[in-house]
Amino acid sequence: MTQPILELRGLKVSIAEKPDIHIVKGIDLTIRPGEIHALMGPNGSGKSTLASTIAGSPMYVVDEGQIIYQGTDITAMSADERARKGIFLSFQYPTPIPGVTMVNLMRESLKARRGAEVPAREFLAELRATLNKLKMSEDMARRYVNDGFSGGEKKRAEILQMGLLKPDLAILDETDSGLDVDALRTVSEGVNALRRPDMGILIITHYERILNYIEPDFVHILFEGRIVKSGGFDLAKRIEHEGYDPILKELGITSTKVAEGAAR
Amino acid sequence: MATSTATYSETAASEAARGRGEPAWLVDARAEAARAFVATSMPSPALRPWKYTDVTALDVESFTPDAAFTPRVTGTAAAGGFAGSLVAALASHGEVVREHLGSVVPGTEGKFTAANAAQWREGVLVHAPRGQAFAAPVTVTVEGREGAIFPRILVVAEPASEVSIILRTSSPAAALLVAGVIEVVAQADSRVRLLIDTRWGADTREFTTLRAKIGRGADVQVGSIVLGGHIVKQTVEALMEGEGSTSTIRGVAVGDTEQHFDFVTLQELIGKKSSSEVEIKTALAGASRSVYYGVTRVEPTAIGASANQENRNLLLSPRAKADADPVLEILTNEVIRCGHGATVGPVDQDALFYLRSRGLDMRQSLVLLVTGFFQSVISGLDAPGLVEELESALREKLATAELE
Repeated sequence: MTQPILELRGLKVSIAEKPDIHIVKGIDLTIRPGEIHALMGPNGSGKSTLASTIAGSPMYVVDEGQIIYQGTDITAMSADERARKGIFLSFQYPTPIPGVTMVNLMRESLKARRGAEVPAREFLAELRATLNKLKMSEDMARRYVNDGFSGGEKKRAEILQMGLLKPDLAILDETDSGLDVDALRTVSEGVNALRRPDMGILIITHYERILNYIEPDFVHILFEGRIVKSGGFDLAKRIEHEGYDPILKELGITSTKVAEGAAR
Repeated sequence: MATSTATYSETAASEAARGRGEPAWLVDARAEAARAFVATSMPSPALRPWKYTDVTALDVESFTPDAAFTPRVTGTAAAGGFAGSLVAALASHGEVVREHLGSVVPGTEGKFTAANAAQWREGVLVHAPRGQAFAAPVTVTVEGREGAIFPRILVVAEPASEVSIILRTSSPAAALLVAGVIEVVAQADSRVRLLIDTRWGADTREFTTLRAKIGRGADVQVGSIVLGGHIVKQTVEALMEGEGSTSTIRGVAVGDTEQHFDFVTLQELIGKKSSSEVEIKTALAGASRSVYYGVTRVEPTAIGASANQENRNLLLSPRAKADADPVLEILTNEVIRCGHGATVGPVDQDALFYLRSRGLDMRQSLVLLVTGFFQSVISGLDAPGLVEELESALREKLATAELE
């Protein structure tokens, strides 16, 4: 069997500044080359925390468990080292960086990813090829990073960077949020165009609608920091029709938050 | 240090001036300035512009004036104009020098300006005659050595003339005191550009006053990039006397180790519909410190004036420090716009994580963030070619700056 791209082993995560707040409470997950996994769950279930933790955000602390990437334990590795090894996080809210152009950022990040200078001509050729593949114009590349971008532009800019950096693991954090149907289709088609058989993709989403464009092999439901149910694409379809409540009820889960609230 | 104390006395200053064969009016001005120097105590931190730069322990007279100091001037003046030695100009352009030297910054108004007026040995006159534009920038190179130097620059832009000056300063690691005065007379409809590239050595203390009198419809733009020096205090003042006059003061500084930068700006709006912008940004590493005190004063006569001042400071290390104090004094109700903003803070952690998630290490990310932060100032500098050079100097400094 091929080596997994990503393995989460008993992962528990809390907030760096508030160590008492445990968000991820023990997750096991394995993503193999070529697989697309969708992590779904209601707001506050820990989806984005998990995405940021895999990418190495200093906002979170791994209390227990391991993150294994291509056979290496990266739990203690910095975000930039992880990125250079081929982990890419498409941000839910990409940060504006005024004064730094997309071209400048992409050139620096490609250089970092390859560990070598990228000649200007080669870089431009790759940038143009990626823009073409994603049906994007060069204007976007000349603008300041995420500065004054619409919601759709921000997400497309993320996918553009993903296309250029060719990650082995792409984590798409709520890439569908804030997009209208047309923008969602464009972005999804972009992801499909960039997909390679040797890469793994983790899609974090609240709604199933992006999954109609990027069909997952596995769907996991995250609830209060734990994966409470895993299944195939049909699980996402069920959530589309029924929402989360019937599934949670079936599993005998009641929200501790709700229970606490009721007790008051 | 008896000899140097004597150098700063009135008798010594006027004798030296006579000995150099200076005209009588200048000898008198030297004596007056030397008198003011002796009579004036060092500025105290009780004075607002000196609140965070305490020079009371600095003994100016312990720095021996460097008699051989000569700024280098390159560039060709427009027809009928002048760009070169101030001493030479006393002979060839005596009337221009006599009319304007000391007219913008009097030799009696402060300790350092008085020292400059009494002690300058060589300086620069840039004279743009009526209706003439210099084809290319004039470059003034100031290379300090040790002791004290008193760079004196006079810029006279006659009506409808245009001139651009690049001032580059440097010094070795030796102890050096710099008391500079730059006077700019921008007459009606003239355009003056002045870009200062400050790269003093590690033991240089600079106290410079730059003041521009700006006439009707004239435009003065000052840009200052400070990378070097131990203490650098630059006071940049725009007196917007003429109707519709405009000015822009831009500054960028990267501090490291124990560097101390102090920017003081004054935008005095006097003429109707005059307008003025100030934007100063610093990035501070190590235990470096930046101080900003900016005053926008809108006089009752400045109907329809507009002004803005901004000071942004990025702390790259937990030991770095910045104080920002913008002040507005608006004496008329009829201003179009008058704003100010000041911030001091560390690098945006979200932006930092964003860049690191793209594979850039801590330092690469910071360099990119700082160059982006400076972009709004740097892109406004009107000096193609030099801007790229300055950007790479900024990056080079950041590449080794203390981030802890």
